[in-house]
Amino acid sequence: MSIEKTEELILNMGPQHPSMHGLFRMVVHLEGETITHIDPKLGYLHRGMEKLAESRTYSQFIPYTDRLDYLASPHNNWAYVQTVEKLMGVEIPERAEYLRIIFGELARIASHQVCIASTALDMAGWSAWSYAFRDRERICDMYEMTAGSRLTVNIMRIGGMIAEPPEEFWPALRSFLDDTPEMLEEYYGIFFGNEIAMGRLKNVGILTKEMAENLSITGPVLRASGVDYDVRKAEPYSIYDRFDFNVPVRTGCDSYDRTIIRLDEIVESIKIIKQALRDIPDGPIMAKVPKVIKPPVGEVYHRVENPKGELGFYIVSDGTTKPSRLRIRPATFINLQMLSIVAKGWKIQDVVAIFATLDAVLGEVDK
Amino acid sequence: MENNVLNRYVDELATRVNGVVEESFGVLMLKVQAPYIIEALTGAKNFPDVPCDFLHDLCGMDYGDHFEVVYQLSSLHGPQRLRVKASIDRENPVVDSATRIWEGANFLEREAYDMFGIIFKGHPNLKRIYMWDDFEGHPLRKDYVTEPIEVRNVVRKRKEGE
Repeated sequence: MSIEKTEELILNMGPQHPSMHGLFRMVVHLEGETITHIDPKLGYLHRGMEKLAESRTYSQFIPYTDRLDYLASPHNNWAYVQTVEKLMGVEIPERAEYLRIIFGELARIASHQVCIASTALDMAGWSAWSYAFRDRERICDMYEMTAGSRLTVNIMRIGGMIAEPPEEFWPALRSFLDDTPEMLEEYYGIFFGNEIAMGRLKNVGILTKEMAENLSITGPVLRASGVDYDVRKAEPYSIYDRFDFNVPVRTGCDSYDRTIIRLDEIVESIKIIKQALRDIPDGPIMAKVPKVIKPPVGEVYHRVENPKGELGFYIVSDGTTKPSRLRIRPATFINLQMLSIVAKGWKIQDVVAIFATLDAVLGEVDK
Repeated sequence: MENNVLNRYVDELATRVNGVVEESFGVLMLKVQAPYIIEALTGAKNFPDVPCDFLHDLCGMDYGDHFEVVYQLSSLHGPQRLRVKASIDRENPVVDSATRIWEGANFLEREAYDMFGIIFKGHPNLKRIYMWDDFEGHPLRKDYVTEPIEVRNVVRKRKEGE
């Protein structure tokens, strides 16, 4: 019996689609229900950040970085202010470094919780979604105590932190850390250990190690393909070299490993925060920086390990108060390239799963 | 130690591709002319002992009189880093595509084309990525006027004395 070819069907998914995590559109070419080609269309959320930066001063650009990967905004602040500090040669106080670590790792936990939740939601797992979002609210509360806002926190400044966390922050953080093992067990029980989730994710969308390296993939997606690489270990920025933690690596290369590796990373983040809480010294949280930020002529590239991959800033300064060129290296924008390659040959519901495991945030993809 | 080895290889490569080597914040920079870029990138990818085989980033730059494409290379197996810069003529902005070496250059080159109008020869799908297809101009060029088209027309009319 021969299988006849059916007529090609072209399906538009997005930009307004619940499983597209924002404003993302893909044109899916189908043969029956099988995908033959995917054409990702970006730019629905493009705000021209790089152009905007050229007409803003160095300090004025910090709030814009919040709007990149808005699920982990302290991390974007961190990457940007560190780049400027590197360019100016500013040393920041010890306490500020520790506070940055605490907020950065809290942001990593919050971002991974959203990833787990939205992956579950894309597989119609409503309860798993509500569990992870419930716990993320506690991190948002901690942001709010310190900075006054819950999502785009704008918590770092060139030279330090915006504010000292209030007294009620520390007990909230400690009780959050105490509760996390239980939370993780819940996520595992309700989502990762679930047969439906396993069936939908295991062995779906294989991204081999060679493909990942060739496609410039970074972050958890790379580590789920068996590459042991993390900027925090490979090129420790801030004070990450003082902490004892592991880099979780998985070798499954499939959607399941790309999601569950985030659970492993939350465990490591908790380890880091606990050590930071133990060692944090007293002292000032802001270095002495000039009122008008005027870095010397030069160019610098700096990258940090964002929850979703490597976020890099490349700043070219011409000696004035505004950058001559500011380049943002978005992690998920580059990771998205794998979608059209990996999803080929899978069914339409698998593409939703593969896209969810990339944890794309369109604020970062579209800049 | 590591850096010395890399230094030597980069110097050797620079003489092969008529490049200039500079250093900025501890990172070596290799500046070459556009026609030599593929040779420079493949050379860097195949350095013995310290291969810079991971394309970390690719972006365009506008210096007013010429464009540059900046390649940030690193490796997943060591601390080596290298920044390669291709200098491109502003009137005829054409450079060979790096997609033959790294598939990951695909979106990045499309972005550089979108924002600067740099044409990457040999790219499989060189279309705008952020802006819509019939968008006029290339926004990150220094001579791009950021005002909306209506305002631009008013300004132009006023200048022309209408």
